[in-house]
Amino acid sequence: MGHTIAEKILGAHAGGKPARAGDIVVAAVDFAMLHDGRASNALKRIEQLGTQELPFAARTAFVADHYSPPPHPEAANIHRDMRAFAEKHGAVLYDVGDGICHQVLPEGGHFTCGDLVVGTDTHSTTYGAFNAFGTGVEGTDLSAVMLTGKLWFRVPETIRVDLAGRLQPGVWAKDLTLHMLGRLRAEGANYRAIEYAGPAVAAMEVDDRMTLSNHAAELGAKAALLEADAKTVAWLKARGAREPRPVTADADARYCERFAIDVAKLQPQVARKHHVDDVVGVEEARGQRINYALIGTCTNGRLDDMRQAAAILKGRRIAKGVRMIITPASRKVYLQAAREGLIEALTEAGASVEAAGCGTCVNVTGHLITGDGDVVITSANRNFKGRLGNANSEIFIGSSATVAASALTGFITDPRSVEGGEWRPAVKAA
Amino acid sequence: MTNVIRGKVHVLGDDINTDIHCSSKYHPGRDNAYVVQHAFEQLAPGFASRFGKGGVIVAGRNFGNNSSREQAVHVLRLMGVAGIVSVSFGRQFFRNCINNGLPVVECELAVKDGDEIEIDLAQGRVSVPAHKIVREVPPLPPAVQAILAAGGLIPFLKAHPDWKTA
Repeated sequence: MGHTIAEKILGAHAGGKPARAGDIVVAAVDFAMLHDGRASNALKRIEQLGTQELPFAARTAFVADHYSPPPHPEAANIHRDMRAFAEKHGAVLYDVGDGICHQVLPEGGHFTCGDLVVGTDTHSTTYGAFNAFGTGVEGTDLSAVMLTGKLWFRVPETIRVDLAGRLQPGVWAKDLTLHMLGRLRAEGANYRAIEYAGPAVAAMEVDDRMTLSNHAAELGAKAALLEADAKTVAWLKARGAREPRPVTADADARYCERFAIDVAKLQPQVARKHHVDDVVGVEEARGQRINYALIGTCTNGRLDDMRQAAAILKGRRIAKGVRMIITPASRKVYLQAAREGLIEALTEAGASVEAAGCGTCVNVTGHLITGDGDVVITSANRNFKGRLGNANSEIFIGSSATVAASALTGFITDPRSVEGGEWRPAVKAA
Repeated sequence: MTNVIRGKVHVLGDDINTDIHCSSKYHPGRDNAYVVQHAFEQLAPGFASRFGKGGVIVAGRNFGNNSSREQAVHVLRLMGVAGIVSVSFGRQFFRNCINNGLPVVECELAVKDGDEIEIDLAQGRVSVPAHKIVREVPPLPPAVQAILAAGGLIPFLKAHPDWKTA
């Protein structure tokens, strides 16, 4: 009986041979991440360890992304403490405006294929897009890693999803993750890992693959793993990552569930207000009036999101009465978007482009509060009631293409029905 | 922590998201001592004041679902929760319980508030004499038992900085 990617990566980090789903292993971690939303708890835990030596600090990134910018002195104090702590112990620091943890870690070349990466955030599943076992942990876990470089894990069962076909123009990985949420429901993969494989994954650019692994967090997944290919390896090497050690699943690996999706049949999808798993085809939500259009977050704030939005909005103007806010996922994304003229095109179209950070995702900064009865369409990952600071407003989720098309018309709109809505990234030679 | 827990049952239902009921997420700026007094009050008014030290929560599916905040477990410990028996747990909540020395057991039980319950972690057995329930559950793996026995991951690592228990 063969092994899944999760069993192989966790086993390899816990002494050598592949583990089995259900095993508890103590595994050596390759890289760790702490963001400001959990720093207060984690730094207290580290203090409780009563040690001055944190050998793993140099392989831990502190990221100030949630309180970006800090809305009150308490948040600013957390940032102050993170900076001082990172300086004292030699941790890698990403400060306010540098970007969202799940973007800056891969961009910084901090891990490679086959690695084990933990972060104090559920969307740490993003690293699976690079064939790394990325998973969310909390402060005590993080303190244990900073002290010992190791952590205990229960080896998860894996759901295998074979993705046949190719996403059609105007349809993105986000539409696929929304489809998965409608199918498995929120938390439908709790405790489990997901493996996505097949020609549809091979055809996706890295930005889209990151969405695929990232949004698995809403399925409750512990990790969302893709196999590596030439695109993955080239992307990581260009960012200075260590030599990739790709890990593949065995043909006879044991899965707790396995199914196939023909993604060529997939239409743009929308999650309706308050529930990430209340998912319908865009035609069913079409015509819903919107007041806010948001593009950003660790799920869909990357270059291809900016490019798609600009393809729709360049030389045009968003609908009267709509506020559009764009938050690039990192400073690097912001800079490249500026170089390509995307920031200019989107700003001229009526959008406000903000400094990189988690700002458009959750109302922790206080700067994005919706009014009673306001309706939001966002490229973010969650639409829980009150997520943007007002329980009397409604949040719908779609791809960046759907958000940009909706900003243009003022109503939820199928991106394929507007000019530029079927933009695709140019296929680059690997 | 001993390997055998005895206490009075306090029943809660399915999908209890502890973020809402026992963290400061919805009590901004309040400390744990304040949150403890109001734990679960929207769900079961007076729950925290009725909860005697050493009690055991028996809940349904997905207890602690979506609750990756460790603070929820700190609040449960402050309430005096000695253990939680639930059909299933949210993933990070399960980790947080182990890491903070709060025993968790996956098991479905039909019991009432006030029943006496006994959980034997080493043997993997849950019993409720009032209902003649004796349930075998998979014993927690030795590594997890060792963390619980130490009172959580931080005290465990203070005693075993190399993770070795033998």
